[in-house]
Amino acid sequence: MKTIPPVCPEPESGPKYWRSLDQLAERPEFRQWLDQEFPSGASIAPEGETRREWMKLMSASFLLAGLGGFASGCRRPEEHLTPFAKQPENYTHGGWQYFATSMPSRGSAQALTVKSSDGRPTKIEGNPLHPDSNGATDGFAQAALLNLYDPDRAYRHTFQGNDVKVEKVVDQLAATAKKFAATGGEGLAVLAERSSSPSRAALQAKLADKLPKAKWFVYEPVDFAVSAQAASIAFGSGVVPHVHLEKAKRILSLDCDFLSTDSDATHHIRGFAKGRKPGDGMNRLYVVESLQSLTGGSADHRLRVRPTDVAKVAAHVASFIASGELGVALKALAKGSPASDKWAGEAAKDLVAHKGEAVVVAGYAQPLAVHLISNALNALLGAIGPVVELLPDTEKNDGGIAEAVAALNAGLDTLVVLGGNPAYNAPTELDFSAAAKKAKTVIRLGYYEDETALVSTWHLAGAHFLESWGDARTSDGTLVPVQPLIEPLFGGLTEIEVLARLLGEAKPAPYDIVRATFGRDDQAWKQFLHDGFLKDSAAKAVTASLDATAVAQALASFKPLVASGYDVVLYRDAKVDDGRFANNGWLQELPDPVTKLVWGNAVIVSPATGKKLGVTEQSKDGRKDGGDAAHAHDGQFKNQFIKVTLGGRTIEGAVWVQPGFADDTIGLALGYGRRKVGRVGSDCGFDAYAFYAKAGGHIVTGAKAEKIFKKDYLATTQEHGLMEGRPIIREANLAQFKAKPAFAQNMDLDAHLPHYVPYNDDGTIKNIYKHPYKQNPETKSEVHQWGMTVDLASCVGCAACVVACQAENNIPIVGKDQVMRGREMHWIRIDRYYSHDADLEVTGEHASADPQMAVQPMFCQHCESAPCESVCPVNATVHDEEGLNVMAYNRCIGTRYCANNCPFKVRRFNFFDFNKRETDYAKVQGQFFLNTGNLYKGPLAENRNEAPNWEIIKLVKNPDVSVRMRGVMEKCTFCVQRIEQAKIAQKNIAKGSSDVRVPEGTFKTACQQACPAEAINFGNMLDPESAVSKLKKDPRNYTVLGFLDIKPRVTYLARIRNPNPAMPDAKSAPDSIRDYERFRHENPFTDESGHGHEGHPAAAGAAPKGAA
Amino acid sequence: MSFIFPKWANTLPLKVAVGAVMAASAAGAGITYYLTPKWTRVGYTPKQPVAFSHKIHNEQLGIDCRYCHSAVEKSWFSNIPASSTCMNCHSLILKDDPKLALVRESYQTGKPIPWVQVHKVPDYVYFNHSVHVNRGISCVHCHGEINHMEEVQHAKPLSMGFCLDCHRAPEEKIRPVDLVTQLDWKGVVDGKKLVHDWNVKPGQSCSTCHR
Repeated sequence: MKTIPPVCPEPESGPKYWRSLDQLAERPEFRQWLDQEFPSGASIAPEGETRREWMKLMSASFLLAGLGGFASGCRRPEEHLTPFAKQPENYTHGGWQYFATSMPSRGSAQALTVKSSDGRPTKIEGNPLHPDSNGATDGFAQAALLNLYDPDRAYRHTFQGNDVKVEKVVDQLAATAKKFAATGGEGLAVLAERSSSPSRAALQAKLADKLPKAKWFVYEPVDFAVSAQAASIAFGSGVVPHVHLEKAKRILSLDCDFLSTDSDATHHIRGFAKGRKPGDGMNRLYVVESLQSLTGGSADHRLRVRPTDVAKVAAHVASFIASGELGVALKALAKGSPASDKWAGEAAKDLVAHKGEAVVVAGYAQPLAVHLISNALNALLGAIGPVVELLPDTEKNDGGIAEAVAALNAGLDTLVVLGGNPAYNAPTELDFSAAAKKAKTVIRLGYYEDETALVSTWHLAGAHFLESWGDARTSDGTLVPVQPLIEPLFGGLTEIEVLARLLGEAKPAPYDIVRATFGRDDQAWKQFLHDGFLKDSAAKAVTASLDATAVAQALASFKPLVASGYDVVLYRDAKVDDGRFANNGWLQELPDPVTKLVWGNAVIVSPATGKKLGVTEQSKDGRKDGGDAAHAHDGQFKNQFIKVTLGGRTIEGAVWVQPGFADDTIGLALGYGRRKVGRVGSDCGFDAYAFYAKAGGHIVTGAKAEKIFKKDYLATTQEHGLMEGRPIIREANLAQFKAKPAFAQNMDLDAHLPHYVPYNDDGTIKNIYKHPYKQNPETKSEVHQWGMTVDLASCVGCAACVVACQAENNIPIVGKDQVMRGREMHWIRIDRYYSHDADLEVTGEHASADPQMAVQPMFCQHCESAPCESVCPVNATVHDEEGLNVMAYNRCIGTRYCANNCPFKVRRFNFFDFNKRETDYAKVQGQFFLNTGNLYKGPLAENRNEAPNWEIIKLVKNPDVSVRMRGVMEKCTFCVQRIEQAKIAQKNIAKGSSDVRVPEGTFKTACQQACPAEAINFGNMLDPESAVSKLKKDPRNYTVLGFLDIKPRVTYLARIRNPNPAMPDAKSAPDSIRDYERFRHENPFTDESGHGHEGHPAAAGAAPKGAA
Repeated sequence: MSFIFPKWANTLPLKVAVGAVMAASAAGAGITYYLTPKWTRVGYTPKQPVAFSHKIHNEQLGIDCRYCHSAVEKSWFSNIPASSTCMNCHSLILKDDPKLALVRESYQTGKPIPWVQVHKVPDYVYFNHSVHVNRGISCVHCHGEINHMEEVQHAKPLSMGFCLDCHRAPEEKIRPVDLVTQLDWKGVVDGKKLVHDWNVKPGQSCSTCHR
C-alpha cells in the first residue's frame, strides 16, 4: 500500500537560518552541492583497474587462496588465556576501575576521574565530587587521552640528537647539580610553564634557598595572568580574581570568550548555564568583541568593534558608572568609542541596577587597561565578594621570557626548560632559538621532540599526567592530586623529578615528593587520592578595597594602540590551544566552534573586509578569476591566499570570510604551522606567531593585507548536513516566552500536524513509517524506554561532547582530504546557524555583518518510526525493546540507503579502514579522480601497524565498543554499552527479585557526562520522576522535523534570549522568529494551535480530505 | 530417427528439478551444520599446559566453581584462576607432583601459565557472565557437564542461534540462583513463575549483545 508523505509547505522566499554565505546568496553552486546527497566525490568509485579486471584478479586470487586453504585447513588459531601468576588484591578481571586524578594546565587544573580498563586508561571524565565541578570537562581534557598514546611523543632521551640511556641523563643532572651547588646557582636558570603545583612551588623555594643566584622564569604564550596582574594593581595586593558566573544576573564581557578560549572555560560555562535558566532571574550577557566567538554567540547584546577599540568601549561604559578622578581618566580614554552613548549608557544602567549581581570580565588578549577597568567596575558594582572572589596570588618568579632571553644573551651557562615550546612560540623580537644556542647547555624536558628540542643539548622525554605523580590546585584553590594510572610508556620523567635532581637529590621519587608536600596522616592521604581533592582546601578569599587612584593613574599612563591599516588578533585556538595539542588528531579534526574549519587555520576576515581585499564571497562569476574566495566549489573550499605584512614579517594563508567579525580586523589562530611536530600536526595551516612580537601582544595593528596569486584548500564541516531552512532551532525573547511558554510547540507543522498527516478512511492516522511497537507491541519493554533532551538555552557549543563521544565510541579520524569529501565520522556535530535581521535586505553583506548565532548539537534522534529502518534491505538497523535505533555492524552491507533516508543526516559511513590504515592527516590530494592518498591504495596502503610505535595507539580504544571496519554505517548509539552495563549491574543486584529498573542517575551517556552546561539529559522515560520525563513536559520541549511523523526520542528545549528593551540594538524577537513570522505569516506567540493554516492558502490546500 | 529424443527424456526435466532441489537441500543442510559452530567448535578439546581435571576438583572434591572462577558473579569475564589460587591448596597437597611443576614455576617466577582458550565468542559479541549466573542460568547450560570432564571440551555450539534459543524461552533453563553452580541439579522448578517473578525478559534485539 502506498503511503503519502505529509506535505511540508516551503517558506515562500528566503531562508530563515543560513549556515553559510553561499546559502544566503542562493548561489547555484550551493544548490548543486545540496542536491547531491554527499559532497562531490563521495560516491565515486576508485579509478585504475576497471571493475571487470578487478573481478578477474580477485577471483583468481580467491581460487589460489582456496586451494591453499584446503591444504592448510581453516582452523581457528589457538589462543591463550594468561591469568596472573599472583592475584592482585581487589582486582576483578574484565572490570573497570576509576581513579581520581587531575590535568594540570596553565596555573590551574581540572579535577578528573579516569577509567582504567584492565590496566590502561581509556576514558577521561571530570570528577563530580570536586566542589567546583559537576563532573564535566573541556574538550582538551577529553582529548588528552590520545596524547598519552601518541606514537609521535618523545619516546627517548637524547643528547645532541642521539639516543641516550636514562642513566646518562641522571648523571648529567647530578653533574649539573654539583656544578651549581658550588657557585650558588650562578649561571643557572629554569624556564617553566605556569603551574599550580604545591610540590613544584616547594622545590622552587628549595632551589631559591640552595642556589640563590639561580633564576626562575615563567612563560606562557597565551597567559591568563594578566587578569591577576590588573587585580593586584587595582586592589593593592597580589590577588587573582575568581569569578562565579552563576551568581551574576548581568554580565559584561570585554572581548572575553569565557565560554571557550579564555581561562577556565568549563567552570565558566557551568556558572553561566546555571544562571541562564529561562524565567525570572535569568542572566543577561553583554559582549563587546572583535572576533565572532561562542560567547558572542550566546550574547543578548553584542557590539562588534575593532580589537583596538575594546578599551574605548570599556572606558565608555565605565564612565557612566565611575566618578571622581577615575571617571575623568575613563572619560579621556573613552574618546572615539564606537559605541553610542545610548548603548554604553543603557548597558551601564542595567549593570548598576543589579549591584552585587553584575560582573565585568575582560579577555586575555586585551591590554592591562581593559582588565583594570573590569576590576574597577567589579568593585564599583559590588561584585567583589558576592560574584568575584579575590584569591591570594602565590606565584613567584624572576621574570618571563624576555628576562630569560636577556639572561641567555648575557651569557647564561645552563638553561633548564621544563615543558613549553619557546623555540616555536616565544615572541619574535626576542629570537629565543638564537639566544638558546648561546647557552653552554640547554636541558629540556618535553613531551614532544619539537622545535625546542632542536635547540636543546639534552632532551628528556616527559611523562604524561596519566603517568606521573604530582599535585595541583584548581582555579578555586582546591588541592587535587595527579596520580598515575599507568607506568610511563617510554620511561618519561616528571617536572618535579628533574627539579629534585637539580637540587642534588640522588634518587628522588615523585611519589615521595608529593606525599611529603601533602603532609598529614596516611588516612588523609588515602582519602585525598580516593576523592581526588582535599576537602575544604579551597583558597580563602581575601578582602580588599579598590584603589581608585592607582587605577586612574595606571589608566592615565596607558597608551592605547592607535589603529592603522588592519588590526590583527592572534588568538588561542579552541582546538590546538597555543600549539600544544597540534599533534592530537581528535582536536585537529574537531570543527572550530565558530568557523567549523578543521585541520588548519585561515586568515579570517569580515565580509566587508573581504570585499575590500577583493575576495568577497558575493562575486557572481567568481569561478572565472582569482577574485573569489570563500565559496564552495563542488563542495570544496579552494580559497584565495592573503599576504598579511606587519613590521617586516609576512604571513600567507587562505582567506576565510566569517560573519560577525569586526571590519578591518584579521583573526589568526595560534598553534598551527608547526615546524617540527609529529605526523598528525604537520602541514596544518600557518604559524601566526610570526606576528607575536612581545609577550602578551595578541592584538597588533598597522598590518597590510593583499591578495596574492595562490589558492589552497580549506576543510570545513560548516555546510555538511544542512537542514533546508526549517525552524530547527526555535527561540524567543524572555518576555515572549513568559507570555506564551509553549511557543515552540506552536511552530512549524507541529501546530498543524492533525491537519497534515494522512488519514485512513476510518479516520485513523496513516503512519508513514512503520512503528515498531505498534506492529509488535509485545517487543516494547515496560521497564526502560530511553529518551534524551537537549536544552538549547544552556548549550553554548563548546564541543566537549563531540570529543567525549569520539573517545568513548572509538570514532576514527579521517584526515583533511576526507573531511573535504564530507566523510568525517563524528557522531555528534554542533550545528551552528546564523540568522539575520529580517528588516535588512537579504544581500548577504548587510545581513551577515552582525548575525545572531545559535548552536544545536545534532546526532541520531532515535526516531521511533525511523526512516532509516524502513529502507535497510538487510535489517542492519532496527529498533530494540527500549526505544533505541540500533546498528548491527555485522549485518550492514554498506548500501547507505539509511543515510540517504535520514532526515537529520547523522549517519556516518566508513568509506575506508580508518582504524587500520594511516590517513593522510592534513595532506590534501586535491584531485578527485586520480587520488593517490594512502587510504585509496587499499591493501597496498601503508598499514599503520607497521609504522614505528603505532601499536600503542590501539590502547586508546574502548574495549566495550566494536571497532568498525570499512563498508559499514555507524551513528550515535545512545552509548548502548553504558546502558547495557547499567542494566546488567542492576540485574546483578536484583538477583532473584523483579527490581530490574535502572535507577535514575546511575549512569550518563558520554556527551551528557562531558557537558559543563548540563544541557544534555538522558534517562528512562517510563520513570515519571526522571529528569528526562520532567523535561519532556517542559513547555519549551519540541521535536525537530516532528511533522515527518518520526517521533524522535531526542527532543530539544527552545532557546531563550534575554535582551534589554532599553538598548538601542534590542530586538522585539530573535531574528529567526521575525523571519519566521514574515515568511510564514504566522505568529507562534499569538496564534492558537492549528489555527495558522487557515490564513495560509498553500497550507490549507495541502490538508488531506477527511482531516479534522 | 536418431534425432528423436528417447522416451526417458520426457521425465528428464522433472528429474533435473528434483535432483537440483535435493542437491540444494543437501548443500544447505551441509552448510548449516558443517560451517557452523555445531561442527567447527563442538568437541574442541585442546591440550592444556597443565592437565587440570574439573572432574577431580568439582565432582570428587566438591569445590565450588566460584572458588577459582571468582569474578564470574562480578564481571563479564569468568576469570581463569591465577597460579596463586592453585597454590592455596597445592602448597600443601601434592606439593611435589611433577604434573604441577608448571604451576609451581609460575607461582615462583611470576610467569603466567598459557592456558589454551576453549570457549570464545567473536569480538563483536559482548557476552556477560555475571548477569547470567546472578539471574539463574547455570554454567551447565553453556559449558555442558564440565564438572564431569577430565579435559575441558567445547560442549555447546555457542552460536547466535544457541543464545537466542534460550533468550526466547528462558523458562526452560532458569533455576533458583543458589543452584546455579550445582551442575548436576535435576530438580523441577516452575520456570514460568520464576521468569514472571524476577521480571526476566532477555533481550532479543541486536543491542543486547552487539555494541
